[in-house]
Amino acid sequence: MTDETRPADRPRSRNDRSSRAGAAGTLADRQAALVAALVAGAPLPPGFDARLVGVARSALLHKRAGEVARHWPLLAAGHGRSWRAVFAAWAAERPTSGSVRDGWDLARHLAAEEALPAPAAEELAVREAGWRYDGHTPPRRRRLPALRRAGNVLVVQFAGRVRIWTAPGSTNPKIDSASPGS
Amino acid sequence: MTTGDGVRAPEVGDGVPVPASGVPVPAGVRTPEAGYGVGIGWRPEIAGFVADLPGLRFVEVIAESIPAAGPPPGLAELRERGVTVIPHGVRLSLGGADPVEPARVRQFARAAELLDAPLASEHIAFVRAGGIEAGHLLPLPRTREAVDAVVGNVARVRAELSVPLALEPIAAIFDWPDDELDEADFLTEILDRTGALLLLDIANVYANARNRGADPLDLLDRLPLERVGYVHVAGGAASDGIYHDTHTDPVPPEVLDLVAELSARHRPPALLLERDGHYPPAATLRAELDAIAAASGYPRVT
Repeated sequence: MTDETRPADRPRSRNDRSSRAGAAGTLADRQAALVAALVAGAPLPPGFDARLVGVARSALLHKRAGEVARHWPLLAAGHGRSWRAVFAAWAAERPTSGSVRDGWDLARHLAAEEALPAPAAEELAVREAGWRYDGHTPPRRRRLPALRRAGNVLVVQFAGRVRIWTAPGSTNPKIDSASPGS
Repeated sequence: MTTGDGVRAPEVGDGVPVPASGVPVPAGVRTPEAGYGVGIGWRPEIAGFVADLPGLRFVEVIAESIPAAGPPPGLAELRERGVTVIPHGVRLSLGGADPVEPARVRQFARAAELLDAPLASEHIAFVRAGGIEAGHLLPLPRTREAVDAVVGNVARVRAELSVPLALEPIAAIFDWPDDELDEADFLTEILDRTGALLLLDIANVYANARNRGADPLDLLDRLPLERVGYVHVAGGAASDGIYHDTHTDPVPPEVLDLVAELSARHRPPALLLERDGHYPPAATLRAELDAIAAASGYPRVT
C-alpha cells in the first residue's frame, strides 16, 4: 500500500479553492451529492448544467430499462412500447439495486397496483416460488417447497424444480401472497 | 502464467511476431505486423459469433462476470485456442473518493489470474458514492483531489493485481463545474503518477469532442500515445442533441476516421470492438471488424 493520504480524510482549507459553489465540500461529499441528484431525486448541486445532467439521467434510465428487460423479459414485453416509460417512471428516483432486484421490485409494485400484465405475473410467480427475496437483500434460493398463483396459472416449486399449471376458472390477477413453504 | 511486468511467451505459433502482452514494446522492436490486431468484446449473446472468427487473437470480457470457479465455457475454449482474454472492470469505482472495496479488488485480480491475462483494465470514473450505486460510469472533476483519489485506488488495486493495469477515460455527457485541469493534463497526470497504461476509447474521444464542439484530434495530439495498451472502438447515436456512446448502434464513419488518424500517429497494439446489445446480423458485425482492420492497417480477423 502506498503512503498516500486518503483524499476524503485530508483536512483542507476551503480558501485554497475556487469559490464557486460547485467546489464546496470534499470529493466524497460532492460525489455523493451528484449521485443522489442523478438517481435518487436529490437537488442538483450548484454549477452543473441541469440540461446535460438531465440528458445523462434519461440515458441512464434507458440503459437500466434495457438491463432489467434482459432479466425480466416478460415484464418488459408485457408493456410493449411503453416499457421504458413505465420503468423510468418507477425508477427515476430509485437507485439501482441491480437489474434482477430492480425488475423484481417493479413487478411487485405493479402487482400490488393490479397493473402487472399476465405474462409478467407468471414470470414473477415463478421467481417467487423459487427464491426468497425480502426486498432489501439479495434473493436466496428457497429450500422449502412453495406455491404461487398468477391469474389462472399455478406455480409449484418442489426440491428446486418449478412446475407450472394452467388452472381454468381462476381470474385473480394478483400474486398469491401465501408464505413460502405453505 | 504471466510475470509481474506483463511479459510472457508468445502463444500463437503462426509466424507473425506477437508481442507477449498488449503492452507496447520499445520503438524499433515492433514490426508492422506486431500486436494483437483487431478483437471484440466477448459477451455470452455473441459467443458463437466470436468463436467463429478465424483470425481472432484477443477478446475482452467484463471482469465482474467471471465466476470464482473459472471462465464460462465459451471463454475457456478461446483460451485453449490461444486467444488472449483481457478482464475489463466496470464496478471498481477507481475514481471514488472512498477506497476501492477489497472484495471487488480481489475478484478483479482473481479474474486476471483465472484468464491468464497479460493485463487488466478499468475506468477513470466513479460508479457509487454515499452508499448509492449510480448504475453507470460517472465523470470525475478534473481536479488534483480527484487525481489523488485515482492514484490511491490504483495503488490499492495494483497491490493485488499481478499484471499491468490499463486505465480508460470515459465518455461524459456533462462536466463538473470546477475543473482545474483539462482532459489531456488530467489523464496524463494520472498516467504519470500511476504508471498505468492507457486504454484509449476512440469512440469516447469522438463523443466528448463532438458534444463539446471540440476537435478530437487536439486530444489525440496531446495524449501519450506510446502508453496505449489497447483501444476501444464502439458505436453510438445522437439524441437530445447529444451523441451517446451506446455500444448498441453502428460505429459511425467519424469514429473509423479517428482510428485511422490514431493509427497514423502511433498505431496501437490492439483495437477492440465493443458491442453490448441490439446485436446486428453476423455479416454486419463482421463488416464492422473489417472496417476497424482497414482503418488501422491490421489484418482482418473474419
